[in-house]
Amino acid sequence: MVSPAIALAFLPLLLTLIIRYRYYFVLFYRAVLVRIWKDCVTGLSREERAFQYVLTNSTPGDPDSILDAFDYWCSKVEFISNIGPKKGKILDRLLMEQSPLTVLELGAHCGYSTVRIARALPLGARLYSIEMDQGNAAIAEKIIRLAGFDDDTVELIVNPSDEVIPRLRSDYNLERLDFVFMDHWKKCYLPDLQLLEGYGLLGKGSMIVADNVLFPGAPKFLRYLRKCGLYEWKIHRATLEYSRGIRDGMAELIYQGIK
Amino acid sequence: KREKHNGKRRNGDRQENKRENQRRKRSSKSVQGIREESQSKTERRERSRRRKGKAEHETSGHEGNKRERDQTRAKSTKSKKNIKNEKTRKLEGKEDGEAQEKSEKGKLKLVCTKNEEKIESGDQLKEKEKALGVKKKKKRRKKVVETSSEPETSEDGDDEEEVNNDGEVRPELLSPEELEKLKEAVDEKKKLIQSLRGKPWPMKQKLVTLRESQLFVEKYEGALGKGKGRKLYAYKVMMTKKWMKFQRDFENFKTACIPWEMKIKEIESHFGSSVASYFIFLRWMYGINMILFSLTFGLVMVPEALMGRPYGSIPRKTVPRAEEAGAMDFAVLWDFGGYAQYSVLFYGYYNNQRAIGWFKFRMPLSYFLVGVGTVAYSYMVVIRTMARNANESGIGDDNSFNFSWKMFTSWDYLIGNPETADNKFASITTSFKEAILEEQESRKDDNIHLTRFLRVLANFLVLCCLAGSGYLIYFVVRRSQKFALDGLENHTWWERNEVNMVMSLLGMFCPMLFDVISTLENYHPRVALQWQLGRIFALFLGNLYTFIIALMDAINLKRKEEKVVKYNITMWEATLYNGTGSENSTAPPITIHPADVPRGPCWETMVGQEFVRLIISDTMTTYITLLIGDFLRAVLVRFLNHCWCWDLEAGFPSYSEFDVSGNVLGLIFNQGMIWMGAFYAPCLPALNLLRLHVSMYLQCWAVMCCNVPQERVFKASGSNNFYMAMLLVILFLSTLPAIYTIVTIPPSFDCGPFSGKNRMFDVIQETLESDFPAWFSKVFSYASNPGLVLPFILLMVLAIYYLQSTSKSYKEANVELKKKLQMQNEENKKKNKQAALKAQMDLEEAKKSASQTAEHQRNNNDSVQRQEGENAKIYMTR
Repeated sequence: MVSPAIALAFLPLLLTLIIRYRYYFVLFYRAVLVRIWKDCVTGLSREERAFQYVLTNSTPGDPDSILDAFDYWCSKVEFISNIGPKKGKILDRLLMEQSPLTVLELGAHCGYSTVRIARALPLGARLYSIEMDQGNAAIAEKIIRLAGFDDDTVELIVNPSDEVIPRLRSDYNLERLDFVFMDHWKKCYLPDLQLLEGYGLLGKGSMIVADNVLFPGAPKFLRYLRKCGLYEWKIHRATLEYSRGIRDGMAELIYQGIK
Repeated sequence: KREKHNGKRRNGDRQENKRENQRRKRSSKSVQGIREESQSKTERRERSRRRKGKAEHETSGHEGNKRERDQTRAKSTKSKKNIKNEKTRKLEGKEDGEAQEKSEKGKLKLVCTKNEEKIESGDQLKEKEKALGVKKKKKRRKKVVETSSEPETSEDGDDEEEVNNDGEVRPELLSPEELEKLKEAVDEKKKLIQSLRGKPWPMKQKLVTLRESQLFVEKYEGALGKGKGRKLYAYKVMMTKKWMKFQRDFENFKTACIPWEMKIKEIESHFGSSVASYFIFLRWMYGINMILFSLTFGLVMVPEALMGRPYGSIPRKTVPRAEEAGAMDFAVLWDFGGYAQYSVLFYGYYNNQRAIGWFKFRMPLSYFLVGVGTVAYSYMVVIRTMARNANESGIGDDNSFNFSWKMFTSWDYLIGNPETADNKFASITTSFKEAILEEQESRKDDNIHLTRFLRVLANFLVLCCLAGSGYLIYFVVRRSQKFALDGLENHTWWERNEVNMVMSLLGMFCPMLFDVISTLENYHPRVALQWQLGRIFALFLGNLYTFIIALMDAINLKRKEEKVVKYNITMWEATLYNGTGSENSTAPPITIHPADVPRGPCWETMVGQEFVRLIISDTMTTYITLLIGDFLRAVLVRFLNHCWCWDLEAGFPSYSEFDVSGNVLGLIFNQGMIWMGAFYAPCLPALNLLRLHVSMYLQCWAVMCCNVPQERVFKASGSNNFYMAMLLVILFLSTLPAIYTIVTIPPSFDCGPFSGKNRMFDVIQETLESDFPAWFSKVFSYASNPGLVLPFILLMVLAIYYLQSTSKSYKEANVELKKKLQMQNEENKKKNKQAALKAQMDLEEAKKSASQTAEHQRNNNDSVQRQEGENAKIYMTR
């Protein structure tokens, strides 16, 4: 029988773990436990709940108010891994600097980042947004229309990214992508990037921005970047969206082509 | 320096090659005649240049040794060939005095070399040199009779020729005057080499000049001697080169001889100097323990094992009957009971026989002196090292030029790993950011209260934690005493080892908690490390002293028991002898097996055993933590990363960092326990040596294989003395209880080298009385008279005071001087600034005046024009 004194000696360890990893515990609580609980209580999916909130608390046709409503809901009520306001500012800045004409977004989720990108686009630019999940895509569509972007500006494609990318050139008459934003499955970052390279959709100077490369993290993607030498790249260090202590980063790549 | 030598050597080679080429040329000359030579001169020159280049390549590829051999061979053959050449030339007999010609050339050469020097200093002189070269050529043409026009000779070619001509200068044929000149030239060249560094020339020119002058010096330095001197010179050069090579090899050998040097260097390159400082400290500790071990092993354990009475001869050297059953259990390996307890490893085994063996080794005296000597030696070493370190680190560390320090000294040049370099780079940038923020904040002066509050809060939390752990240990110790009274046999293993377990666990986990708490304080990592060290120090000290207090209680218990046993033994002996006496007085004395003789509880052995157990459990915990906390974690992170939903390596568990403070303190406290327990368990230094050896390899391996560099790599320049200071404190604190027990508690009556004496230090008295002549003990008693000792101590105190005050005044003077320097600097700066300003003003004034005059003129013109215009206007209006 282990004596109570020995068990007590483990108390500092427990305290250390709790204090050191408190943000992760909070995140776990908000992203998993609360979600399961609400799913059971309301019978709606998380995205639908978010949509309901946004619908009631924002001005239609005003992207800013929609984004604000989203930010409030995600930081105060529940957790959805959108790009968030802080990293969103970096994204806005990059878009302003680049002012791309054809933009591809991988992983629209519920439309937050789509609205954010579409808001910052120059006149006459076109955004292709790919979303795999049917339900999420429906909500994203509603949000995009709510924000006042029509079919000419934003085109939502409901399909897995690895199926869409090979057909982009033939079906959508795309020659070159100026800007690619990746925020879908972290494991797909690398294969999708290689697909883009393989189908020649990247030209010299096209920019690719990948969110969440540190947490949850895309180690293979980063390793590939280090090795391949096709890109000029850097990581914008920030914290995870709607959370203070977890460090995360957004990778900014500029395609240089083969020298 | 070494490279310089290399360069020299290479130069020498080149020179040799040149000579050889020239020799070839000369031989061809003798065959072909001079006419042809002059015609194909340019061509051959080119060829020779090419050949030279090739030869250079070849030689550079060769090994140094071979090079040297070649050189010597070339030299010897060369001198022979020179003579031959001369002969052939004389046979040709075209010219009158060849020697004269040569001396002429030599003179010329001197002039030329002087000129060469000047070429470098100014472009204008180049032309002059050219002219000289032409002149020289003219002269030569005169001499050689053959006059072939040769207008296209580039400067390079000229130089080449000069170099080629060098070999023809035969010093033995020079007159003393010329020799003198040569000497002067050589001296000049030497001076040039020395002062080259300060010359305001471009690097390329410097290099060229250096090479040329070195060539020159090397060539003519030896040539100044006579024919014999030349050979001697060649020999000398060869020997110096060999000596240099030997020195280099020896240097390499020496570094290879330093134990673990390469390992530590590798770690340093990967993890920065703070982690390496731990390993250097570990190595230093190993050295000290080596000496402690050799003292105890050579002077105590080996003599007793070889010359003392063998095992089983007397009660104290045999396992008692009650313990015999379990004396060979496997548990002996970590409990140190059974046969291990009754061996040279522990105090109780030693006999109080005054002299053992055939050469009368004074065992008890040796035991006592070794015990005192190890501690004295440790004090000496620690203090000496501290003093040496204090000298080194007394210069820097002022905050007056914060940003300059950061700018110029923050890079750790020992880093050789890209990842660490990245980390260092990041940490430097963040430190800059922080410093700038700090600077701003110190100007704003608003957030200081918050940081102060946080620091106080952190200290409060740490204090709470310390108090809690202290209470837990106290509680456990009390409980274990209760268990001991009940008898250990009817308790589980957990309960028996509760004290050690709790101490190890607290020692392991509390520092983690401190680390987490210290993030509140927001100190610079070096300061944070010191705070952390201080806190862990307090924790360990508390633990250790609770342990010692518990041990003291145990000693008192044992002594009470001893009294009872002593009484019982006298009774037992009396009954034994009485019984035998009454039964049969003529019977032979009864022989009782020593294992059956009743004996007292030997508290000294108990203390020694406790320490040994503590050391072993501590070592085990360290290694197990290493294996689980570092290795297992690394393995999990590495191999689970492929199938996990987030990035394990960069994110949540990640790899562990090397914990410098915890490891250093573990080492220091381990050493403290060794010092404390070594008197009662002579095996402790040996055990510690083993532990350090193993942990050196294990930790080196663990660091390289499963740790990542710290996020904030920092230099550990100042921390070494901090370690030393802690070691000194621990040394003092650990000798205190040992000295206390030695001085106040009488030794056990039936075990150990001091049994039967009132106090342990009575050994010295005894030795003085019986082994030394009477006068010596008399002198000693006089010397130990308080009337003599007290003034002596007073004198010492005065001396210490005097030294301290002088050092203080020196320090003050240093500070003053530093201030003065700074002031001077500032003043100079101001002066310079003023001068610059004044110059600027002057310039501006001059400009202004110039422009004014110009403007004036223009104005005049303008006014004239304007007037004209006005006139015209007026005229027009009119």
